[in-house]
Amino acid sequence: MLAIEILIQGLIQGSIYALIALGLTLVYGLLRILHVAHASLFTLGGYLGVLITNATGSLFLALLLAMIIVGFVGMASYRILYYPILSRPPLIALIASIGIFIASEEVFRIIFGPFSISYISPPLQNQIDVFSGIMLSEARIMVVLLAFILLLGMNWLARQTRLGIATRASVVDPDMAMSSGVNVETIRYSIFFIGSAFAAAAGVMVSLLNNLVEPTMGAVPSYKALAIIVLGGLGSVRGALIASLMLGVIESFGTIYFGNLLDRDSLAFAFLILVLMIRPKGIFTKG
Amino acid sequence: MLKTLQASVMALLISLAASIGIANADTIKIGFNVPLTGFAAADGQSALHGAELAVEQVNANGGVNGDALELVVYDDQASPKESAPLAIKMITQDEVVAGVSGSYSGSTRAAATIFAENNVPYISAYAIHPDITRAGEYVFRTSFMGEVQGRAGAKLIGEMLGAKRVTMITLNNDFGISLANGFKEQTDNFGIEVISEYEYSIKDREFGAIVSKIKSDNPDAIYASGYFFTAGPLVSQLRAAGIDQPVIGQEGYDSQKFIEIAGPASEGVMITTSLDRDSSDPMTQAFIEGFSNKAGYPADMVAASAHTAILVLADALARSGSLDKASLRDAIAATDLKASTGQISFNALGEVKKDVQIQIVRDGNWHHHSVISDPDLLAPPSE
Repeated sequence: MLAIEILIQGLIQGSIYALIALGLTLVYGLLRILHVAHASLFTLGGYLGVLITNATGSLFLALLLAMIIVGFVGMASYRILYYPILSRPPLIALIASIGIFIASEEVFRIIFGPFSISYISPPLQNQIDVFSGIMLSEARIMVVLLAFILLLGMNWLARQTRLGIATRASVVDPDMAMSSGVNVETIRYSIFFIGSAFAAAAGVMVSLLNNLVEPTMGAVPSYKALAIIVLGGLGSVRGALIASLMLGVIESFGTIYFGNLLDRDSLAFAFLILVLMIRPKGIFTKG
Repeated sequence: MLKTLQASVMALLISLAASIGIANADTIKIGFNVPLTGFAAADGQSALHGAELAVEQVNANGGVNGDALELVVYDDQASPKESAPLAIKMITQDEVVAGVSGSYSGSTRAAATIFAENNVPYISAYAIHPDITRAGEYVFRTSFMGEVQGRAGAKLIGEMLGAKRVTMITLNNDFGISLANGFKEQTDNFGIEVISEYEYSIKDREFGAIVSKIKSDNPDAIYASGYFFTAGPLVSQLRAAGIDQPVIGQEGYDSQKFIEIAGPASEGVMITTSLDRDSSDPMTQAFIEGFSNKAGYPADMVAASAHTAILVLADALARSGSLDKASLRDAIAATDLKASTGQISFNALGEVKKDVQIQIVRDGNWHHHSVISDPDLLAPPSE
């Protein structure tokens, strides 16, 4: 029973990782850029979630607005940060991205203050008996449901719509896609919008679980999401999702049974190193 | 071209420095390194407000033997690689008479070594690493060491609350580890059995797995080390999972922010700390009132500690009557002062001797629960 409960906690954590890692792996697939500043958008989402909920009393509105606003900020980050340096080696974009991420922590501190902020009355805190005595707060259930719905929606978009098909074509062969009439820029903006909106959703969910947002809350996701997309095979959406859930579960059991040896982050990276030694291209990449 | 530019900039800087030097001829400079950016910026902000309040209070009462105190503030980002050069700058360039750390252990240790080497007094306001005072005889600490508070925690749980089966949740840094060491050192004396211990990193805010495990451990009490930004989420997640056993923390929780984050879950949480919110002492009351007026939010442990450290220095300056560093050092060592965090005196190593305050959350505020004044139990190491 305890094992099931710890497994569930791991899947909740994994769902959050999945929402963050998705945007990162999409951007990598499309542009071959490691978008570290993605974690700043996660933090921004968290802040907007708390601030809008406190101002309006509606978490739903806050989630929706956070996703839309951060989605546009993501698009702007592509236009301002990456577009001018697309022709340069990817390393340049990576360094720019890291710089923006570090600067953003201080910008959050200047705008929102050095202290954490919290929900005035935290929503979704009631306990629900999921099955045979396993109690979860509504917020935790919401995390998993939201991740599931968003990812299902993404899957539909990718398979059933023109945008999705064009995106997949651009990932496989950008030049061929372009010569078939695909507008690559539209696709890039769309991917930044969707990926950033998902990161915002993750930020709102984390703010709900911890009742706390702070300027440095993106620090851990900034590198852990990188580990996840490497594990999943860079650019692979399915790989990133499975790696997210795996990592959530491994950390969950690890903090209980190996916590005195290695902390959560070290566990994640020990696992990453182990996997890369056996499968240098990630778990889910063929060849 | 570049050379002339450099020369003119230098000339400007020199004249600027000279004019500042003249303007401040009658002030006594105290160096203050504090994290104002980076992950510790929130604590740094509180510490700075507390230190500034102390300086304002001293100056409003005529200063030290007629001279005004001046705080020379530097942002050390809680990082040793920042604080070490800042310490050199404070000593050589600003020529401070003494330094105070409003920062964390890593940065304080690095600066303490440099102050000690240069025979300039240095007081750690709330950094807890044992090696800080071992840097030399010019280094003092006005807050409890982790071990001391850990021992007080064991007495609170084992003797005062009568809880015997205890789960420990330990923050995996120098603060958490030294608290855990002090706690474990006293478990036998107070009949405590540690039935499980979990460690977490300072970056963790999500404790789902540990909470699930503790539910099945079913302890009598939980001894959890942490800061308000880790303990807030931890306590709210423990209570949300239906775990209602007593949670005992330490001065790291000691902020209104903890109550804000954990909300109703914070009710009944007890901590070992050095600030008594319900103290009738006019000194402490003046601090609590002055701080919330100045900062716009309620006082916390970090602020009280920085406030205390500055007052200790001001008191020693007044008693030594000169700016000579050796006599100032001796005056600090001979301190016997009532400050916002209680009656302060030092042992041979420069560690503070004072009572431990137990505070409890009631109706959304920290309140007095009890005091532990047991000089043997609370004796800091003296070498």
